[in-house]
Amino acid sequence: MPTPSFTLFATLYRHLARHRKALYAVTALFVAASCLAASRAHIEEDIVSMLPDDGSNVDRDFRLLQLAPFTRSMVITLKAKDAGDPAALTAAADRLAQALTQADAGRVTTGLTELSGGFLGWLGSMLPNLVTGPDLNRLAAATSPAEVQGRLRQSYQRLLSPEGWALKESIQSDPLSLSALGLEKMRFLNMIPNMRLVNNHFVSADGRSALLLVQTKAAMTDSAACRELMARVDRAVAASVPAGMRATVLSGHRYTLLNAETIKRDLYVVLTLSGVAVLAIYLYFLRSWSAFFVFLVPSSILAIASGAIALSQGSVFAVTLGFGGVLLGMADEYAMLIYFYCRQGGRDPGTITAEVARPVLFGAAATMVSFGVMLMSNLPGQRQLAVYSMIGIVSALFISLVVLPHLIKPAPQGKLALGNINLGWRLPRRAVIGVWLAVLALSSWQATKVRFNGDLRAINLISPELRQAEEELASTWGNMRGKALIFAEGPDLESALLVNDRIFRRISGRLAAGELVSLAPLLPSELTQKENRARWSAFWGDGRAERLAGELARGGDALGFSGTAFAPFLATLTHPPPPASAAGLREAGMGELLDSLIVRSPGTVRVLTLVPDTPQVLAPLSRELKGMPGVHLVSQSRFGDTMGDAIIRDFSRYMELTSLFVLLLVIALFRRPARIALVLVPVVTGLVCMFGVMGLTGLEFNIFNIAATILVIGICVDYGIFMVLRLAGDADPAATISVLVSGLTTLAGLGALALAHHPTMQSIGITVLLGVGAGIPAALLVIPALSPGERP
Amino acid sequence: MRALPILLACALFAAAPGARAAEPSSGSGQAALFSSLERSAGGVTTLSSDFVQEKHLSMFKTVVSSKGRFYFARPDRLRWELTAPVASGFVLNGEKGRRWHQRTGRTESFQIGQEPVMKLVSDQLFAWARADFGWLRREYRITVQGEAPALLRLEPRSAATAGFLSHLLIGFSADGRYVKSVEVHEKDGDFTRIRFVNTAVDKPLKADLF
Repeated sequence: MPTPSFTLFATLYRHLARHRKALYAVTALFVAASCLAASRAHIEEDIVSMLPDDGSNVDRDFRLLQLAPFTRSMVITLKAKDAGDPAALTAAADRLAQALTQADAGRVTTGLTELSGGFLGWLGSMLPNLVTGPDLNRLAAATSPAEVQGRLRQSYQRLLSPEGWALKESIQSDPLSLSALGLEKMRFLNMIPNMRLVNNHFVSADGRSALLLVQTKAAMTDSAACRELMARVDRAVAASVPAGMRATVLSGHRYTLLNAETIKRDLYVVLTLSGVAVLAIYLYFLRSWSAFFVFLVPSSILAIASGAIALSQGSVFAVTLGFGGVLLGMADEYAMLIYFYCRQGGRDPGTITAEVARPVLFGAAATMVSFGVMLMSNLPGQRQLAVYSMIGIVSALFISLVVLPHLIKPAPQGKLALGNINLGWRLPRRAVIGVWLAVLALSSWQATKVRFNGDLRAINLISPELRQAEEELASTWGNMRGKALIFAEGPDLESALLVNDRIFRRISGRLAAGELVSLAPLLPSELTQKENRARWSAFWGDGRAERLAGELARGGDALGFSGTAFAPFLATLTHPPPPASAAGLREAGMGELLDSLIVRSPGTVRVLTLVPDTPQVLAPLSRELKGMPGVHLVSQSRFGDTMGDAIIRDFSRYMELTSLFVLLLVIALFRRPARIALVLVPVVTGLVCMFGVMGLTGLEFNIFNIAATILVIGICVDYGIFMVLRLAGDADPAATISVLVSGLTTLAGLGALALAHHPTMQSIGITVLLGVGAGIPAALLVIPALSPGERP
Repeated sequence: MRALPILLACALFAAAPGARAAEPSSGSGQAALFSSLERSAGGVTTLSSDFVQEKHLSMFKTVVSSKGRFYFARPDRLRWELTAPVASGFVLNGEKGRRWHQRTGRTESFQIGQEPVMKLVSDQLFAWARADFGWLRREYRITVQGEAPALLRLEPRSAATAGFLSHLLIGFSADGRYVKSVEVHEKDGDFTRIRFVNTAVDKPLKADLF
């Protein structure tokens, strides 16, 4: 029976055989141009590329989470070996702050400025704007005749003490200490749970640590800027932190830098190792100088795919490049088939190419379908990965079927090195099938245990030092970064504050003050303040102000106060002050607080409320806040769950579509059910074993494993096609060694990826290693065992 | 902190001996005077004194007088005690402190560093007790208005402080071993005068005072 072939390739071969130099020159030029383009690519390390952009709000939530207080800041803990000398600690914090400022690290904060005088004065004067209904009940109790006399005497005593020198003005404006009502509102602004103020510095409860916050200008996604910033910060720390103390710097910049440097180092290691390993495999199995040309195929497609992405999209995601290592190992399948068939010789290379084109194109079609499905992904990074891989596959096809046949010389007598490998037909088939079924059964059982993890932090590298610093930060200062965020959003500050007031009214009763951080009690919207002032005026308007003035006059006279001593205070009762404003609060020394809880961007102002990130708190709050316009509740835990759901959703769709398309393709190509089932043996085995080992070892399935799974499908389907075509007598026995060698090179590429330090790349490597590692023996051993009547 | 310079006056009852060598109008004479004060104060280990405070404030119908006692023991212990017309006071001991009020009848402890106002008070008191003229000259322009007895005028350097504090007048005893009087003049015309009497230098103090 004549072997089906694609005569186009035979014709093309014969035509190009007359123009080989031109063909080589054009190919070399194209690859060189691709290298140039690839070398100029901007490598994008932003994890946002792996967030859905389907309008599902996951990317919005992710960006909102980045606005959390202390997420944007560099947090430095200065720790003394021994407690007991707060003055030395705060002095060292000041020296470090000065060194950081001189190093142009950013705006450094060591504590609250002007808290005692300016802020308390502001708080007292703004009371009419801030009091609520319940506050007025307490105000009524505080202004009873007995209370007035007691409080007035207290103020008199304070005035005579040394402290009184600092308090004259505040006693004139608030002789009854009514501003304590305002201080109560500070309970809702405890952003650092274990912090206290010592010498106006942030100091830990145990007195051993001081906290410095640095607002930097360097973008956290810019690794070059991060590197430069961290170098300056480290120099400032080294130069200014005294003996007996140490500084721990925690910042998103440090994570960015660590991840960027690790990815770059991994890329170097992966590409080098996989390149060397693939070359070694070629030299051992191919044993010919022609092998060099086969080796050039994956190298060339790596350059072409990278260059094409760089030219078309401007930047290449680091993960896409990392995937290049895998592609390098995968794309030689087609070249390998061509190589072995051409080396066997015996016929015109054009004819051989036309015949081999069939399995090559079938395999490539299946792989293209797999990656084509990924084009529908909601993740920009995955889509780029799909385009990258498809460009690589098309390039591999072109070079393998058009260029390579001209470069391979037939082996002497057409004998292939190691060409008599026929593993599958030498092993007892029942034993092979038995083991296979057992492995499948065990893997299927364990596969049910695989957990989907949507937490993006899980795919970030965190060094032991950083993890220790995180733990130390949490143990020293409390959970200052792990809060859920409620955003009150509006086109301007007033609108956002108005929404913030509504949020506070809804949830303040549900949470203890220490659990809730909100600006609403201290800086309500102007509308709320107007209501408060009206309530204040009504409270004092029914003759209460006059009665209080009389009480003050009587009590004051007895203590020697003049009749006008408290005129500023009495004026505020009947003439409320202008509204409290963000500018006034900032001037009073609370700028840091405002910067932490008010986030401005063009056209939008967001005011943050912080609540504990626990299911017990978030579930009822979600219901309470649902449907409120301008309100967004985001949290790391919920975000992880949402991402996990998105991964499962995306993955389910991939699996459905890929399975459908690959099945349709295989049916169209092979038609006979038995053949179709055999083609699918490697892919089914690969996937089941991959999930099985993941479930068995506790490896979680993350967002990058989706791409890895597609790769497993693409590669394993190819193996099935190559092997089954051989059974049918459609292909030459060289297919076995071709599958073996290309499988080994794929494993070499993936093995290198599994050695990467970055969890993302490692995760891809291990996953594909498991899938392809199971798919190869399934193709080489199980397919022959399942088809004894079709031995070649 | 706007009140900081005023608080400085509270410390002026602390030791500041040895003003006799000063040249009132000469910069080098001033330096010599301060240097002399620092050297002399370095040898002082304890101080105790009665004081009378007069408040000339527009808040009061008349001048309000009060009296009390203060104690200082090097390096960082101090007691300020008002005895009339009300009994109240505080003790500073290193980084810790405690205060009491006759009205409430309670004594409460505090950490100086956690109470900004007390922190300012203690900083000023101890700066004067240790005669840290380097620090004081950074905060104030100090001029010598008299030699025997020495009289210093302190004007705040900071514009914010100068917005409400006019100046301080510090008068020394005839032998220059301790502060005899302090006057704090505010921008609005109010002022406070403290006169120290019965001052004892380097006499043993009971430990339970602090």
